[in-house]
Amino acid sequence: MDATRQDAGMTETLVRREPLLGGAEIAAILVFVATFAIPLLTKSVLVYSVLNQILVGVIAAQSVWIMLRMNLLSFATPAFMAIGGYTVAIAGRFDITDAVLMTAAAFLLPALVAVPLGALVLRLRGTYFVLVTFVLSQIMQLVLFETPSLTGGSNGIAGVPPVTLFGSELASYRQMLLFACLLALLATLITALLTRHFRQHFAAIEENEVLAESLGLVVWRYKALGFVVAAGVAGLAGYSLVNMLLTAHPSSFDSITAVDFIAYTIVGGRVSILGPIVGSTLLIWATNLFGTHGQYAQGLYGVLILVVVLAARGGIVGSVAALSRRWRS
Amino acid sequence: MSELRVEGLAKSFGGLRVFENISFALPAGEILGVIGPNGAGKTTLINVISGRLAPSEGRVLLDGRDVTGWPTHALSKLGVARSFQQTNTFRSVSVRENLARAIRFGHGTEGDLARLLRDFGLGDRLEEQSDKLPYGLQKMLGLLMAFATGPRVVLLDEPAAGLERAERHRIDAFVQHACVAAGCAVLIVEHDMDLIRRLCPRVLVLDAGAVLADGATAEVLARPDVIAAYLGVTDDEAA
Repeated sequence: MDATRQDAGMTETLVRREPLLGGAEIAAILVFVATFAIPLLTKSVLVYSVLNQILVGVIAAQSVWIMLRMNLLSFATPAFMAIGGYTVAIAGRFDITDAVLMTAAAFLLPALVAVPLGALVLRLRGTYFVLVTFVLSQIMQLVLFETPSLTGGSNGIAGVPPVTLFGSELASYRQMLLFACLLALLATLITALLTRHFRQHFAAIEENEVLAESLGLVVWRYKALGFVVAAGVAGLAGYSLVNMLLTAHPSSFDSITAVDFIAYTIVGGRVSILGPIVGSTLLIWATNLFGTHGQYAQGLYGVLILVVVLAARGGIVGSVAALSRRWRS
Repeated sequence: MSELRVEGLAKSFGGLRVFENISFALPAGEILGVIGPNGAGKTTLINVISGRLAPSEGRVLLDGRDVTGWPTHALSKLGVARSFQQTNTFRSVSVRENLARAIRFGHGTEGDLARLLRDFGLGDRLEEQSDKLPYGLQKMLGLLMAFATGPRVVLLDEPAAGLERAERHRIDAFVQHACVAAGCAVLIVEHDMDLIRRLCPRVLVLDAGAVLADGATAEVLARPDVIAAYLGVTDDEAA
């Protein structure tokens, strides 16, 4: 075979077109489409409560996961959740409850705030980035407590009106849960489209930022894009949380809750969008289960995280994927 | 055609002056060797020209345009590519994906990469994970990734370091291809004097952060001060 034909065959596919969504992204979206069936199949208050917590946790964990795709461990999620949640609660005071409008606001406001913040914090890497994003969450707590005329201060904002869709109030527990499912589906779609479309760019930054930049990748642009979208997704988590509680309170957005969202992501596995979904579901379900043994709850939760992290270094999804590859080969 | 010009370049880290007053011009299609003892500032020079570090003084011009202090990605877009002293690839992905990223990020083209891949023994290893390749092939992959960005100026930082003698002809082939076929200006930092003699008509010698000599390779390498500072003399010669 002549070399020219061999060369043509070899390089025709060096740069392959990426599909819009991969298998993991489609599976994640299908999970949340299927979730809509749960409120329709049961009226169990316990199931509703746990599912609502899981949905909030999944959205918040997806925000963490977007940044982890670029090897940036962000503790700023509760701060952006607070912006999204309080936006909805403050708008409720003025009887602005339209679901579409509020969803857009809960996404866009944190995203806008993230633009200047990103310009400051994305210069940092590693431990410094972790510390500064943690400080952002602490500052947000201070802002919430020190601006009572806007945020209600330490009392928060109670009695947030339920959202309305096309003029109808989504006031029943089932309707509120269905709306939470919708927010989770939306957050998953945004996360999937972003991380899939820029999969190679994010992966290159995660693995070797210096090399990526020397090849022409404008690293700061992708980090900023990720940070802004992650902030918007966190804002949706805040909206979902306030919609569940009908209250916006500083304690709901405590900076230490970032540790939970990070744990969901690490335990589930950072290799795939399914990781934060599996991790959130397992750990929130376990929290509720262990809650029946109050005095041991925290210990059992810690033991579970230790077991998963030690036994499955790539998280649950990463380990299952590795086992599957080994099985196939 | 591109020309890289460096004027009065200096770099310091705090009170430590790495090099100073370095000037040279490197027209398209030419090869310049940069040699000098360890610590002379050769790699730092590449880091400054490629935008990884900002210079303390002086200017870097590309086709007469002042690009001093431009970030790496911007210089890459203008056609400045570099390789690294150590193997530097995306270790967790295949050879194909490494090259695809280089083409995608650098807006390069596949061009004649296929022939280079075959010549360098990578043509039938496209699906192998890059960190599973032998050291020499990882270094060649790094060079090909730099070339895949479609450069006009190529900065090579010790491309032959760690390669077996039998593998070094690949560096020659790569440099000749970049210089002759692609018309790139090529700067090579290297300790392998045979390679420098083979490839570089002109050489710049750095010593203690200053230019000791700049000129035709054979003449420069025969200069007593260059021999004393870098090449050294045998015991017999010393006697």
